[in-house]
Amino acid sequence: MARNARSGSRLDTVLFAVCGAFSLVFAGVLPGNLREAFAAGLRRTVVAPLVSLQRRAELSRSAFLTHDQVTAQRDSAAIRTLSVIALESENERLRKLLGLGAQLRWGFIPAEAIHSADARGHANAEEYTIALTAGSNVGVQPFSPVVAPEGLAGMVQTVDPTMSLAITWANPDFRVSAMTADGSAFGIVQAHLGSGPNRPERYLLEMRGVPFRSTLQPGTLVVSSGYGGVYPEGVPVGTILGEIKTSETWARTYLVRPAVSPPKLSSVMIIQPQRAKAGVKNVWTSAVAADSATRRVVAAGDSAARAAAMAEVAARRAALDSSPARADSARRASAAVAPRPSGAATPPGASTSAPAAPRPAAPSPPRAADTTARPAATPRADSAPPRTPPAVAPRDTTRAAIPVVTP
Amino acid sequence: MSFNASLRLAVAFGILVVLNYTLRPLLAWRTPVDFLIIALLLAAVRVRPGAAAVIGCLMGLAADSMTPESLGWGALAMTAVAFGASWLKPVFFADNLLLNGLFFFLGKWCYDLLFTIGQQRTHGAELVMQALVWSPLSAAVTALAGVVLLVLLRPLLETSPA
Repeated sequence: MARNARSGSRLDTVLFAVCGAFSLVFAGVLPGNLREAFAAGLRRTVVAPLVSLQRRAELSRSAFLTHDQVTAQRDSAAIRTLSVIALESENERLRKLLGLGAQLRWGFIPAEAIHSADARGHANAEEYTIALTAGSNVGVQPFSPVVAPEGLAGMVQTVDPTMSLAITWANPDFRVSAMTADGSAFGIVQAHLGSGPNRPERYLLEMRGVPFRSTLQPGTLVVSSGYGGVYPEGVPVGTILGEIKTSETWARTYLVRPAVSPPKLSSVMIIQPQRAKAGVKNVWTSAVAADSATRRVVAAGDSAARAAAMAEVAARRAALDSSPARADSARRASAAVAPRPSGAATPPGASTSAPAAPRPAAPSPPRAADTTARPAATPRADSAPPRTPPAVAPRDTTRAAIPVVTP
Repeated sequence: MSFNASLRLAVAFGILVVLNYTLRPLLAWRTPVDFLIIALLLAAVRVRPGAAAVIGCLMGLAADSMTPESLGWGALAMTAVAFGASWLKPVFFADNLLLNGLFFFLGKWCYDLLFTIGQQRTHGAELVMQALVWSPLSAAVTALAGVVLLVLLRPLLETSPA
């Protein structure tokens, strides 16, 4: 019995010594590459299931830990997406404005619209007037039309050196002589005051004094007629919604959906009187289709379209440089578009200190170089002259005169 | 030890090994619970010292395969701890949770000391910090977990009256 115990104890000691020696061999004797090979062999065979378990556990832990982080990132992404939508909207608005500036070419002053607020600080829903961040210092004059890329917004009423106040079409005093896009019917457009407690129709226009023989279909585009000396011809005012019954039995009155929403106004163009006289028919075109006109305006502000225009201008400039006879006219054109202190894009020859009537048309024929020095589609850029700067605004003298409303 | 007891011990041993590679990475504490030491000590007090040394050596090699740079030191430490635990089983093999807790604590601390000193990767203050702060903390956590597991696995580990 005692011998068995002693032999067992001896065996235990031997096993312990062998195991210890075995471990020491791995710990200190074997070279690194052999130890690595042995460990790799263990990891691939005996310990492989345990390694897999450990990896899954660590993955689970990291997934658990990153859950909150991922949620926070997802929320941040959602917030960023919201701001992207706002940025896209602003980008589209500014692009439209650039397009409008490129179409107008000269004689306009860009301005930001500051909406008035009531005594409680809320935005004025009626939007009778808006403040504009441009004043007489940059050439704003009273009774200048205020337009947006979509169409007519209002008219400058009061001018200060650094800012001005404009009435919008929602103002009860607003009037504009208007006609249908095809010129078949004329009338006076004014704010529709509506009726009832909530006056839901308050945000519409009405076209009064349309001859009884003229029946207008819903969707017909209404543009300014150019009569009255304030608003140039061809600025979209709105679209016909339908006829409304009034006490006037000798003329029709139509409800018009305005092209511009005053509460959404942010950036506008103030058209200088001489530019209004020169006409803006080519800006919104004849507006047979308002959508296509808007698309054209937007396309003018498109960077790709701008790049193509610049390439065309460069080609023309190269052609001009090759012709000594045209060099002089090119120089004159360059001098005409030299930087001016005024913020307004002015016609050639127009003095910035005295923005009076434009000069008569230049004696030379329209030159290709007229557009060379102009940075295209930049609203505040100094613009090149129009092809034929008219001394007076073009008028369709064949039309019957209609009552002119002086604001 | 009967076959039945050996089988139950093997099951408990397997559970603890699996816990070491699943629960321990999930918890990822600074002072981790060493389920391998708990399993080794539970097995060591139930077998002869020589068998305990072999078990410790094999377990140490398996554990060291995850860290090849310290291959062998873990095996050596586990061999020593298992052999010592098996020799000391008359002292600690009482049905007293506090004594068993102390048993786990000493086993884990000794293992950490042997492993740290043998590996020779830490020196000076860091070695003192490891030996006197982190290792005892880890040993305490391991002892606590060992006691809890001992209670939970009591039906599996209690020796049947032969």
